Amino acid sequence: MTRINRRTLVSASAVLVVAALTAATVPAHAAEVGVSSSEIKLGITLPMTGTASPGYNKVPGAMKAYFDYLNANGGVNGRSITLKVEDDRYVPTEAVAKTNKLILQDKVMALLAPLGTANNKAIAASVNPARRGVPVLFVNSGFSGFTDIKKYPTTYSILPSYVMEAKIMAEYIKDNFAGKSLGLLYQDDDFGSDALKGFTQAGITFAVKVPYSSGSQSGAGVGAGWITKLSAAKPDVVVLFGVSSATAVGLGTAAALKYAPQWILGSVGGDATTIKALGVPAGVIYNAVGASFAPATTDTADEYVKLFSDIYAKAVPGSAFDNNVLIGMNTAFVAAQALKAAGTNPTRKSLMAAIDSKGASFASAALIPLNYSKTSHVGYNGYWFGKYSPTGDLKPVDGKYVLYTTDSSSGAVVKSTWKRPAMPAKGLPN
Amino acid sequence: MHKLSNKVRLAIFLLLGVAIYFLSGAVDELRVYQGATVAVYVVGIASIILLTGYSGQVSLGQGALLGVGGYAAALLRIHFSAPIWICFVFAILTAALAGVLLGLAAARLSGPYLAGTTLAFAVGLPSIANQFAFLGGEQGLLFDVGFPPLSFGEDFTQYKWFFWIASLAALIAMYWLQNVMRSRYGRSWKAVRGNDVAAELAGINLTRNKTLAFTLSAGLAGLAGALLAMTIGTVSPSAFPLALSFSLLTGAVIAGVTTLGGVMIGAVTLVAIPEIAGAVASRFGSSEAVTSNLPGLLVSTLLILTVLFVPNGPVEQLRAHREHRVHKKSS
Repeated sequence: MTRINRRTLVSASAVLVVAALTAATVPAHAAEVGVSSSEIKLGITLPMTGTASPGYNKVPGAMKAYFDYLNANGGVNGRSITLKVEDDRYVPTEAVAKTNKLILQDKVMALLAPLGTANNKAIAASVNPARRGVPVLFVNSGFSGFTDIKKYPTTYSILPSYVMEAKIMAEYIKDNFAGKSLGLLYQDDDFGSDALKGFTQAGITFAVKVPYSSGSQSGAGVGAGWITKLSAAKPDVVVLFGVSSATAVGLGTAAALKYAPQWILGSVGGDATTIKALGVPAGVIYNAVGASFAPATTDTADEYVKLFSDIYAKAVPGSAFDNNVLIGMNTAFVAAQALKAAGTNPTRKSLMAAIDSKGASFASAALIPLNYSKTSHVGYNGYWFGKYSPTGDLKPVDGKYVLYTTDSSSGAVVKSTWKRPAMPAKGLPN
Repeated sequence: MHKLSNKVRLAIFLLLGVAIYFLSGAVDELRVYQGATVAVYVVGIASIILLTGYSGQVSLGQGALLGVGGYAAALLRIHFSAPIWICFVFAILTAALAGVLLGLAAARLSGPYLAGTTLAFAVGLPSIANQFAFLGGEQGLLFDVGFPPLSFGEDFTQYKWFFWIASLAALIAMYWLQNVMRSRYGRSWKAVRGNDVAAELAGINLTRNKTLAFTLSAGLAGLAGALLAMTIGTVSPSAFPLALSFSLLTGAVIAGVTTLGGVMIGAVTLVAIPEIAGAVASRFGSSEAVTSNLPGLLVSTLLILTVLFVPNGPVEQLRAHREHRVHKKSS
């Protein structure tokens, strides 16, 4: 009897593998992968659930809101854009598995704004979009390494790098807080080391530097440890250069311990809606300094903010129009222009060639220009600084945007005089 | 109980190897990648079955041992450009060494105390990886096993290469494990699991046996970790989260924790569930919140159903059912 059982086991196991591996059906081959006569498929991986998801999980909804608006207005050369969303929970293994699904099963034409430095590195190493010729548009990471064209030839960055941000922040500190002692909280990975590189290059020294490990911020007593170390050195100004959840833990704990230096929040963790959603009262970030390259989300006089907030309010009623939403919609808008510029029958190659040749002139909501060319995959390269209002909205001081730009190496930080061109009619790609 | 002879078992494993070889050429690249992941989970789940099912010790920290193996393989590859198979052997040895240390502590503990200790190991180890620059911090290290040999032809994809390596490793590991289970040690472990006092009275050294089980289990976990690192091309603390330990344990329970026979069921379930969830969600046009949480819900439901209705796993249940029928017939 046992003999039969063992055989059954082995054959049952073998059948299971065969069944699991052959369950897929392969879609018909098109002129270009992910492009049909009526549709263009794009895919995104990001944390939709888990500790890293707050704030970021609004991005796909924002992108879809714009794409739906675009599709209702004729799409791109008659094709509608579909965005496939995959939750990677901020785990590299899942990012790889989900990206494989997007590229090999869903057959997307390009990846759009995949999020996270570690995840994008794992995707590059395992899935290898470069070898497959798959464009990785506008990675949602400021890691300066992704602009290395030799290493990541099909990857396009859009956010200013963390090195740029730190250099510009240093300039702002020199202009506004000269002679004050400084403290820094940073993430102990490429995100943080890029920041340290920028600050060091700008000649800024900190009286106290507190590193934290990504993921550790949710641990009990972790925030109190940071604040104890920071407050012991008595800095006048403290820079929080971390993700939203870490920024919220730092601010929340400081408020509970009645520690209130002048805060400067990095762009990654400075989204007020997310900070408030994580339980920090708006009053805590009142007068804190924050950075952005997009217009203030409350600036309804801005034509992009007005249009995007109207579209979003209709698409996702009741959801706050915050910086994550604005940047998500703007990324979708830039992607739509790239697809339009790629010609009436866009291919992966023509899409990348279009960004290389015309990307610098794409319209965008940002107050900083895009910098794409044949030799550069750098998107935005600058920031403006403002202060948070009593309700937690980041606004330029005296209502005037002062813009700084720089590069990721030793270039100087300069005040930008660039003026954003008018928005294309109805916010649709030209 | 009647056992298959060694020759027959070897023949079955060789046949499975041949089947896998042909399978890898017949399916598309995504399935090949998923097949490699299934092979990784097979080894990972087998390491838990050896420990929990056969020696009666609970580990909630298997993911951390996978991490030890993954990092060991990557470090050897980066600093000494060692051949892949040496990296895998090194991963097994390093994780086994960690297993000896953990096993020595574990041999003195049981039940919730042992579960707690291994859980602490799983929580703490990734944070330790963040503290040392040579481990690459949060971003981790690259683990590049290189391209497949040119002699396999230009169409031979990277994932097929991963699939072959992972499947071969899984087959060898399972064959070896079956042999171990049929050895004196395997019988001793089963005796300890059944009743440790009786086993000790029968002359079995409890500490040595439990530590040995922990060591071998850790070695297998190390191999699974190195294979996992190969399939994603990197090792980083976030690749070995606590959730990985729980997933493997879930896979082992679904597979049937007291038998190796169902290990494939557990591994395929872990890989297939997210896909099934995705297909269900897209068919019904569900919201992203539903799509994102459905895999977790399905796995949890399956776990509860398994514990309720087939606590020893479907394969063991089937065997019991058949034996029951045979007894009935003969009586």
